[in-house]
Amino acid sequence: MQLAGVKTAKAFPQAVIIRAITMRTITANTEYPGYIITCQEDLLLDSGKKINNFKIAYQTYGKLNDQKDNAILICHALTGDQFPAEQSPITKKNGWWDLMIGPNKPIDTNKHFVICSNVLGGCVGTTGPNDINPQTRKIYGSDFPTITIRDMVRVQKILIDELKISKLHSVIGGSMGAMQVLQWAATYPEHTKSIICIAGSLKHSAQNIAFDEAGRQSIMLDPSWHGGRYIENNTKPENGLSVARMIAHITYLSEKAFQNKFGRNLQEKKDLSFGFDIDFQVESYLRYQGRSFVDRFDANSYLYMTRAMDYFDVSDEIIANKEKIIENRVRFLVLSFTSDWLFPTKESREIVSLLNSIGSNVSFAEVVSERGHDSFLLDEPQFFKISEGFLKGIK
Amino acid sequence: MRKDYQVILDFIPPGSKILDIGCSDGELINLLSQKGVSCQGVEIDQEKVVKCLEKGLDVIQGDINHIVDNFPHNQFDFCILTQTIQTVQKPDILLNELKKIGKNIIVSFSNSAHIGKITKFLFSGSFNSLLKKSTNDQWFDTYNIHPCSIKDFQILALSLNLQILSTYDLDNLKKFKNSQIPSNLFCKDVLFHLVNEQ
Repeated sequence: MQLAGVKTAKAFPQAVIIRAITMRTITANTEYPGYIITCQEDLLLDSGKKINNFKIAYQTYGKLNDQKDNAILICHALTGDQFPAEQSPITKKNGWWDLMIGPNKPIDTNKHFVICSNVLGGCVGTTGPNDINPQTRKIYGSDFPTITIRDMVRVQKILIDELKISKLHSVIGGSMGAMQVLQWAATYPEHTKSIICIAGSLKHSAQNIAFDEAGRQSIMLDPSWHGGRYIENNTKPENGLSVARMIAHITYLSEKAFQNKFGRNLQEKKDLSFGFDIDFQVESYLRYQGRSFVDRFDANSYLYMTRAMDYFDVSDEIIANKEKIIENRVRFLVLSFTSDWLFPTKESREIVSLLNSIGSNVSFAEVVSERGHDSFLLDEPQFFKISEGFLKGIK
Repeated sequence: MRKDYQVILDFIPPGSKILDIGCSDGELINLLSQKGVSCQGVEIDQEKVVKCLEKGLDVIQGDINHIVDNFPHNQFDFCILTQTIQTVQKPDILLNELKKIGKNIIVSFSNSAHIGKITKFLFSGSFNSLLKKSTNDQWFDTYNIHPCSIKDFQILALSLNLQILSTYDLDNLKKFKNSQIPSNLFCKDVLFHLVNEQ
């Protein structure tokens, strides 16, 4: 990719926090393990709207050292949460990145203090559309302002500030997490030594926006969505959210992964039913994925977070802040997977080219895997080895 | 230390930005980094990429034959190809691309017209004798698909409008300036320093 010169620096809005009334308190999370930072202040968003008073839910693993220089921030993907390691209090299974994070694992909690927060707009404790709007004392619902990846990262920066960490060892994330990671590099390059961007992209592609839109339409066309006010109506757009998840889940796998896992195998039957009940195993699997998702995820959060991904386009901001990125010698590792067609290798290579073009050195590897976009959450030894090697090399 | 590394290390000033294509496990860029040179490596073998990462080096995994056009133009002071040119599918196309992305090009290779090699070839009658000494490759199964002589490379450089600034006979670390080049018959290993003729 050849970049047509360096574009003129645009003004990128900075977080405006009205300090005079700022009051932040850290308390134990009463609903889940971990902590909550309650911020009594206004958060000005990219949209120009404000959120008055907000909460950041986060969890930590390992110990922060005295120099406060061993902290790693993990950015979760669309349907992730702040519980990547150990047993998840929500699913009661291993955390979504338990293979990656823990004692003697690639992100070694014996050495590192690992922080993960639920993103802004999420549904596991950080302020999102199902919280009460302090101004109206009603649930936000569709009144929740549209948020961006940059807004999410601003909130993470507040968390890091509150933990009195001035420089992170690394910021690491895959998929939507990779977007946050790139946003960190663009907005706060002086606050991290390194970045690991996994299965990501500089901007959401047209195809990805299309998939997101199909998912959102599925939710919003469910009569139980009630214009976003389903909680007041004591219902949930379960069918819509479940179909949205089914569509998305297809994009997380690969043709080969589906073929290897299911082929054309029939589900507990010998013959076709000549109807629309479940005939194939793959149908049963997808329906299960959809159904189980609605128990742990909120439909409005899904709308807001997919929108944030659609709006993501970070190239100009990286170019505008190139001096800061170079000055701070931020080290980059970009990783992709061969069978990922949602965030294909080509898009990771574009990240590499952009970083090279601003004068930054960068590391990149493409991991061979048949399991599609979701590879970054699975047992991929080569992926772990590369990540571990890179973290070892960060001085 | 390899003699081509020794020359390059003496040669490249601190503060430069270099691209090492086919950087293997990063020995050269590690030495250059310690000298204050900003280094970007490219390596196809993922295991070697991991070794580089562990040393804190920046390396892009990629195939030399396809990756170079991903680099933005005029990014590097030096593009370095040590003992690599003979493995490239289209050396002419690669050198042309390197002209765009770097100000200087450094190429080191083993001279396939060296008297030792051609004598061996004469008596063995086998092209295997022209391949790199260090490998047990056969002519039909080798990465070293383009053995070339000093003369071959000189002709290629001229045809691509690359100016030969200097050359080194790596056997005795002798430097040749301007149009002088080491003997095609008696120099075993050679290093070329090229710039784009404007």
